[in-house]
This record gives sequence, structure tokens and C-alpha cells, in this order.
Amino acid sequence: MNRNYILLTILMLALATGTLFLKKTPNYNEIKPQKLLWEIIQPTRYVTTDQVAKMIINKDQTLELVDVRDTKSYEKFSLSGAINVPLDSIAATSNQDYFGLPGIKVVFYSNDDIAADEAWVLTRRLGYKDTYVMKGGLNCWIRTVIQPQQPSEDAPYTEFEKYHFRKGAQIYFTGANIEQGSAGKSKVSIRRKKKKAVAAGGC
Amino acid sequence: MGPLIPNGVITGDWDFVIALLIGIAFGFILEASGFSSSRNIAGVFYGYNFVVLRVFFTAVIVAMTGLLFFDYFGWIELDKIFILPTYLTPMIVGSIIMGFGFLLGGFCPGTSYTAIAIGKLDGIVFTIGLFLGIFLFSETFPLFKDFYYSGFLGNVTLTDVTGIPAAWFAFAFTVIALASFWFTMIIEKHIRKKITEYKF
Amino acid sequence: MKNINSNKNRPHYINPYFGGVLLGLLVILTVYITGRGLGASGAVKSAVVTTADAIVPIHAHTNPYYSKFISSDKSPMYNWLVFESLGIFFGGLLSGVIFRRVKKIRVERSPKITNKTRLTAALIGGILFGIGSQFGRGCSSGAALSGSATFSFGGVIVMLVLFGTGYAIAGLFKKLWI
Repeated sequence: MNRNYILLTILMLALATGTLFLKKTPNYNEIKPQKLLWEIIQPTRYVTTDQVAKMIINKDQTLELVDVRDTKSYEKFSLSGAINVPLDSIAATSNQDYFGLPGIKVVFYSNDDIAADEAWVLTRRLGYKDTYVMKGGLNCWIRTVIQPQQPSEDAPYTEFEKYHFRKGAQIYFTGANIEQGSAGKSKVSIRRKKKKAVAAGGC
Repeated sequence: MGPLIPNGVITGDWDFVIALLIGIAFGFILEASGFSSSRNIAGVFYGYNFVVLRVFFTAVIVAMTGLLFFDYFGWIELDKIFILPTYLTPMIVGSIIMGFGFLLGGFCPGTSYTAIAIGKLDGIVFTIGLFLGIFLFSETFPLFKDFYYSGFLGNVTLTDVTGIPAAWFAFAFTVIALASFWFTMIIEKHIRKKITEYKF
Repeated sequence: MKNINSNKNRPHYINPYFGGVLLGLLVILTVYITGRGLGASGAVKSAVVTTADAIVPIHAHTNPYYSKFISSDKSPMYNWLVFESLGIFFGGLLSGVIFRRVKKIRVERSPKITNKTRLTAALIGGILFGIGSQFGRGCSSGAALSGSATFSFGGVIVMLVLFGTGYAIAGLFKKLWI
């Protein structure tokens, strides 16, 4: 019996020593290339500037706007509530907390949609889902929300509806903009992944 | 993929069935190891029965080591599991009170349920005491409500507090546990007659 | 009591290290499936809350401790720990049946004290343990065992202080046990 105990002791000691050498590799859920290519060509990953405007006006809590331009441009002008993660640091470990939050829709935008597209591909490769790109970027934002174009007389009714909405949005955003210019940047509530327990527990 | 229920792999409806099954396993192991007897349990404090030390400590080191390996193999996400919140001062005070309760009663809640199952009246009385104690606590709660919530450090792990990786703790616990097992075995050998006499 | 010295009637228990390994594996399994550890005192707490809510519901709803555990749509007994504790009872029963330890109701005590002493001590012990477990956010199974196994700081503290206190005061209660 003593010999068995000696063997068990050695086994347990070996296992415990083993834990000291376990190296944790970062757990990236890498997506397959074909799947990525397929998803790139899906139009559903785009959101329109109207959709974004609507979500901001409705104070949609599930929206997380990410401005992927450099910090200077972000500070000069950005959409309300957007956080700034410059494209060159999208993959940095310190910024990973902004992505992959359950239930949160991440919408990338840049001046066009080129940089935002790159950010989308990068984060998609890292395995984050529920990510989108604002089609047309800020340039489109200016053209549609800030300075909406009046539709021509023979345009379909939906165009007038859209214009009507955009006029309202224009008032909302440019009105806010004027205040923002003098008072400085409005406070952005940044959401990060908290290290919290999902399961409940107790005694 | 683990933990399964929080990750949705098993739906929440199975929660209670699983709870029951796990409880059955727990109760079986406890009773089969001798925890349904208060004299066996109290024995660890007097050196005549080390079952508490052996079962408890072995369970802790097996679980610690196992969880670390599970985490390494990616079978479980350690950030998703429940970590007991630390309220430092109330927990220390509570543990001291529990220590007294443990020595007087010779049971803890889990073991008292197994004692009831095999007909131990002192187990039944202990559980009634538990009920009364918690009732007393709840009724007088407003008096020490602030104390109860004091010393909150969060749902912190050992690593959060000390910065030492979990594996080192697993290793340290294992070494200490194994050493104590051998040490107590040697003690028992020298007091041979006590082994047969004091197993209840 | 006179059967203690006879080897034949000594109760048969499984090897404690084996039991410990099984228990450790059970903790891993429980954490793997449910994301939480084992527990036991929570079931009694649920029972207390349910009783209070049934007998004096207004008081229960205004009391800051009871009200934490009262929800409008389901009973506090509809709770993971309650079912698990029920399981502990049945598991103990099963083991008791298999190992022939289920017998008529009896008091287990040191031959040097009376039944009354033992039962009084058990009652007081239970009351103290009940109070302590609420401050401690768990008992030896929930906080000390599962807490330590999951590397929680509080769990280890409870384990060390609980057993440390036990060793420190053991001398006071020696007459109860030896």
C-alpha cells in the first residue's frame, strides 16, 4: 500500500509541476479564408448613414461607433458617442476589450470606407462578429445627414421620406454640433469588457 | 466550450436536473468517506482521525490542477466561472464563528445533510441550528448591514491580489498537502492503537 | 458503543484519498458544466427566506436581507443550491444504504458526555455555523472547498481561518470529542 501511495504522490507532484509550465497562447478564434472572402462580399456588413443616424437619435445602447482615423482627425470632428481606435492599433491587445462584447454592434467608420473596411477585415479575422462598416464613411455622412440633398420632383416617395428623415437628423446633429464646438468634446461612455463572472454562484 | 451552461451549450432547463445529480454524487462521496459522522470530522482537530484533511485537501489540489489543465486545453474559460466575492473583514469574522460552530457541532451544512440521511439525530439538530442561525442573522441584519458589506475587494482571485500566477498556488498547495499526508501517516503509525478505535 | 474496538463492526469507508480525488473531479465537472462550484448552506438560507415570506411576507419584503432573495415570480426554493442539497441528502442516503449505515435514529457522541450535552452542542454549533456562513458568503463546501479550487481569494481566506480557528480552540471543546 505504501508503494502505491509513493507512486500517487509522485504522479500528483508531476501534474502540479506540469501546471507551472503551461503557456497560455492567446485564444484567437481564427476564421477560415474562404469564409472571410465570402463575408467580405456580403452587403449586409454595411450600414447606411441613415441607419447610424437613427440609432444615435434613438440612443441605441447596443451601438458602438469606432472611428478608425488618427487621433487628430477624431478630435477635430467625430460622430457623437464614437470611440477612437486608429487603424494601426486595431489589433493591439489593449484595444481588444472594445470588441466582442455580447449584444453590442460595432460600426467602423472613416472618411471614406476604405480604412473602416480594413478594420472590419482585421477584426473579423480575429474572430469578432457583429461588426459593420458605415457605407461611404464621414464623407457620405456629410452628404446625407449634415447636408441632405433635396430629391428631384419625379423621385419615388421613399426618397422624400428619406429626405424628411435626414432633415430632422440634420437639425439634431448640427444643432448639437454648434454646442459641441464651444463646450468641447462631449463625454464618451466607453464600454470595455469587464472581467466579470457570467455564472451565478454562492455558498 | 466550457462552462457549458453559461455558454449556452446546455440550456438552462437542465440546470436543476444537473444540480440534483451533482448533489447526489457529492453526498455519496461525503458519506462514503465517513463525513456523516461528527466524531470522524472532529477527529482532524485532535489527531485521531484525519479524514477531513485527506479528503478536503486532496479535492482542492485535484480540482486546482485539473482546472488549470482544462484551461490550457481550452476546454473551459476561466474568466467565465463564478469567483467568490471577497468581503475581507466579514469573511474573517464569519469564518471564526464557523470555526466555533464546526468544533461544537462537528458538522458543516453539506455533511449534516448526509448525517440526516443515515439517521443521526445530532445531524438533524445541527441542521435545525443552521436554520435558526440564519434566521437570527437575517432578523438582526439591519444592525450590522454596513459591516456585512465592508471590506469588498471584488470577485478577486489569488492572482488578482498577489500577482502570482495560479499555477504557483496549485503547486504550493500540492506540495503542502502531500507533505501533510505523509506527516500524518507517520503520526498515525506511532499511535497505532488509535486507528481502529477512533473510526466511527 | 462496546463494538468500537471490534474490527468486524468497524464501519467501512472508502479510502480518503480516493474520496478526495473523486470530490476534486466532481468540483471540476461542476465548474465545467455550470460555471460555479458546489455549495450547501445556501439551501438552508433559501428555506429560511421562503418560511419568512410565507409567514410574515410584509416583514420579509422590508427586511434588507430577506428581500434580496425574494423574487416576484418564483419561490426562493427554486434555486440551484436547493436542488443540489436535496441531491446531497439522497447521495448520502444511497451511500448509507450500500454501506449499511442507515439505522434507526441515534445520537453519535463521545461516551464521556450525555446525549443532552451532545445535542445542545450540535444545536449551538449549528446556530453559530449558520450565522458565520452568512458573513462568510459560504460554508466549507461552497467557500472553502469550491472557492479555493477556483483560486478565489475569499475562498482561501475562509478555508484558512475556518480550520485555523478550529485548531486554535480545539482544546476548549476536547471533552465533547475525546
